[in-house]
Amino acid sequence: MAETINFIVKDKSFEKFAMMAILGSTGDAMDMKMNFFFTFWGLNLLTKKFKPKVAGMPTPMKGMGAKIFRKRMKKFGIEDPWGLIKDGVENGNLKLFPCQMTMDLMGIKHEDIMEIAEDPVGAAAFLEMSDGGRIVSL
Amino acid sequence: MADITLNALGKKCPMPILMTKKELKKMSSGQTLELIVDDIGALKDVPALLNRTGDELLESREDREQITFMIKKA
Repeated sequence: MAETINFIVKDKSFEKFAMMAILGSTGDAMDMKMNFFFTFWGLNLLTKKFKPKVAGMPTPMKGMGAKIFRKRMKKFGIEDPWGLIKDGVENGNLKLFPCQMTMDLMGIKHEDIMEIAEDPVGAAAFLEMSDGGRIVSL
Repeated sequence: MADITLNALGKKCPMPILMTKKELKKMSSGQTLELIVDDIGALKDVPALLNRTGDELLESREDREQITFMIKKA
């Protein structure tokens, strides 16, 4: 059976988004199963129209910082981090799970979530799919 | 002479790895792939990828800023 790594994504920053795209797509290339569970602020990353900002920059530069990072990453050959994620999802190795409880807590509806995501799950479902595998918190 | 040459100059992590995997997927067993990169991280990343996929690293050489890998598809 393929090795599985399970990630908890709890932040909505551009940094965490880029990390999940890079680790997720690389894990897919290495024939590993990569499950991402988006909870609390991390769930924002899965909502339509959301644009992550750079957490590690001073407040007035957070939005601009994300644009600069995207531009630089384009030069490295990363056209759009979502493109990398989509490829991994299409290959069946990368899965994106919205947290049902966070959706209820924050009033996020099913139609607000990107189509690329799996059906929402709760804590028990996530822990069960992680059973015996590694869990990493982003 | 390799069957296929892949130029990943200027690309950085994770692109050389993703491009290599994509190319290897299309190849048939026994074919060789020449991969040219200038991302220094690829020195460790390419062997790590091949450890997973089971494809063979025949040779890697560095000259100036450039690294060339010769890979044989399993």
